[in-house]
Amino acid sequence: MEKNTLSAENRRKSILSAVLGVICIIYVLPVVAVVINSFKVNTFVKTNTFDLPRGEMWAGFTNFIKGMTFGNYPFWKSAMYSALITVLSTALILLFTSMAAWYIARVNSKFCKLVYYLCVFSMVVPFQMVMFTLSKTADKLHLNTPWTIPIVYLGFGAGLAIFMFVGFVKSIPIEIEEAASIDGCGPLRTYFSVVFPMLRPTMISVGILEIMWVWNDYLLPVLVLDINEYRTIPIHIQYLKGSYGTVDLGATMALILMSIIPVIIFYLACQKYIIKGVAAGAVKG
Amino acid sequence: MAEVSLRHIKKIYPNTEKKKKKDEPAHRTTHLKVTAEGIVAVDDFNLEIKDREFIVLVGPSGCGKSTTLRMVAGLEEISGGELLIDGKLMNDVAPKDRDIAMVFQSYALYPHMTVRENMAFPLKLKKVPQAEIDKKVNEAAEILGITEYLERKPKALSGGQRQRVAIGRAIVREPKVLLMDEPLSNLDAKLRNQMRAEIIKLRQRINTTFLYVTHDQTEAMTLGDRIVIMKDGEVQQIGTPQEVFDHPSNLFVSGFIGVPQMNYFDAKLVKTDGKYAVELDGKTIELSPEKQERLAANNVEAQDITLGVRPEHIALFGEGSQMFHGKVDVSEMMGSSVHLHLQSLGQDVIVIVPTMDLQGIHHDGISIGQEIAFTFGGNVVHVFAKDGKNLEF
Repeated sequence: MEKNTLSAENRRKSILSAVLGVICIIYVLPVVAVVINSFKVNTFVKTNTFDLPRGEMWAGFTNFIKGMTFGNYPFWKSAMYSALITVLSTALILLFTSMAAWYIARVNSKFCKLVYYLCVFSMVVPFQMVMFTLSKTADKLHLNTPWTIPIVYLGFGAGLAIFMFVGFVKSIPIEIEEAASIDGCGPLRTYFSVVFPMLRPTMISVGILEIMWVWNDYLLPVLVLDINEYRTIPIHIQYLKGSYGTVDLGATMALILMSIIPVIIFYLACQKYIIKGVAAGAVKG
Repeated sequence: MAEVSLRHIKKIYPNTEKKKKKDEPAHRTTHLKVTAEGIVAVDDFNLEIKDREFIVLVGPSGCGKSTTLRMVAGLEEISGGELLIDGKLMNDVAPKDRDIAMVFQSYALYPHMTVRENMAFPLKLKKVPQAEIDKKVNEAAEILGITEYLERKPKALSGGQRQRVAIGRAIVREPKVLLMDEPLSNLDAKLRNQMRAEIIKLRQRINTTFLYVTHDQTEAMTLGDRIVIMKDGEVQQIGTPQEVFDHPSNLFVSGFIGVPQMNYFDAKLVKTDGKYAVELDGKTIELSPEKQERLAANNVEAQDITLGVRPEHIALFGEGSQMFHGKVDVSEMMGSSVHLHLQSLGQDVIVIVPTMDLQGIHHDGISIGQEIAFTFGGNVVHVFAKDGKNLEF
């Protein structure tokens, strides 16, 4: 009897594994396509999309060189602006939202609740709904440069970040902060010496989410920034399109691959902290 | 090292604000006073703590003992009354400026700092020179026996070790008052006994005033110079452990202090020729001269009373007209003594018999269902009025 249920359990597990495996392949396939096509000669990208770049299809690194030198806007400049915007935005989001979340979680007032629900609400408002008024406003407030656009990102990123930080702060026993206040800390000191270090696991999780979002974002910079002067990598890739609508797919794939490499490296480097963060929440200690 | 005065201290939680305290959720089950201003968590708390005294606040959960401690710490606002430390009014002084230290039940160590950093943290904030910090931390670590763990993070320590670190962090500052909020409650029974002894030793080594909160009456009895027993936000009795054990001011205190609980009987207080005696089950027990005096001083009239007798004050066996009779219901062997539950006078009566005595009288031990006679003297009974007040007070 028990044996039967066990084997049934096993069968169910193997079916589940197969289904999940297929779903996994579907997810990974586009990425694989990008990788193999970036080494393929342009004309074969459309005809032999899922073939490996063998023989005459093999283009070597020509796609990469073409992508980086195409047009009159240097690729390194786009990469630099992308990096600048990503780093600044993420830093701003992490610092301000973690502080705000600490306040919201610890001060039990109507105002805090209101702010919290507004932040949560902002997560469900689609960007497309506000993008027109936003780009106008950003122009007026001179938020249309790579140095100031992080403020716009701060506004958009705050919802999710505050939501995650508030959840985590609530799980930190308040006694630790009370101990700090008895030991001689003011609020600022308590935040930077005690709360900030404890938030590290969530900082990294939120940081990764924000970095991936800002780095890959296309719509906001294209609407807000002066395209002739400042381009980010996604905008740069878009400009690989020729004047008659012809697209160098090989070069596009090559640039996409290059743009996702930093994010992947960052993710792999921080992976152990993410797992640590999850475990830290689960085990009391 | 300091004197602490709590004068008419009051804590009222406004009705609109929900009381959010994990350790005292018993709010709904206790009978806290509710006034127009809100829920009274602590009402008219008066206590003068002498320099270097060890005061223990004890009571069931929700009685306001932790709230009182947190008011002294400055973590909780004082709704009324005055708090003085060394003669200085502290009501509106920030916790960090009160020169106090606190040990929490949950240890509240900083998880990202090593043990050394944890203990050095309050000194660093005070801008004490590094050499002195090192010296003090090493000294404290030695007192507490945690020298070998100084470079570890708290999560690599056991509960007992963590609590030692928390105590270390509190004593390195040499605070005027050391506050402890149920510091042993998270430890297992064996470790708790051990740490209790260590706190007694620690107390002899450092010169500071202690204010200690616990719900455990053993801790209260063994640690405190004086015990403050609280219930529903009100102080029930303040006294030395011996005083509260021998002369509980009311039914609640008599039941709270002492394990197992005191036995209670419905009895009558009679007064004949100026002499007080209690009548129970047709038998008359004359009170001791000391009790006579106290009752006479209070002009107590003859009345229905609740008679209290501690289980350890009941004597078993013997003959005579003054004996009560009961049947053994349950016998609990505790090692050095046996707790007998007798069915007698229509209720459960608990008697503690030292194992040695038992062997002397009854070689075969005691069997369930056995008929047993017991008695008690007029010097050990407690006479409570029907409203719970001890008539000797």
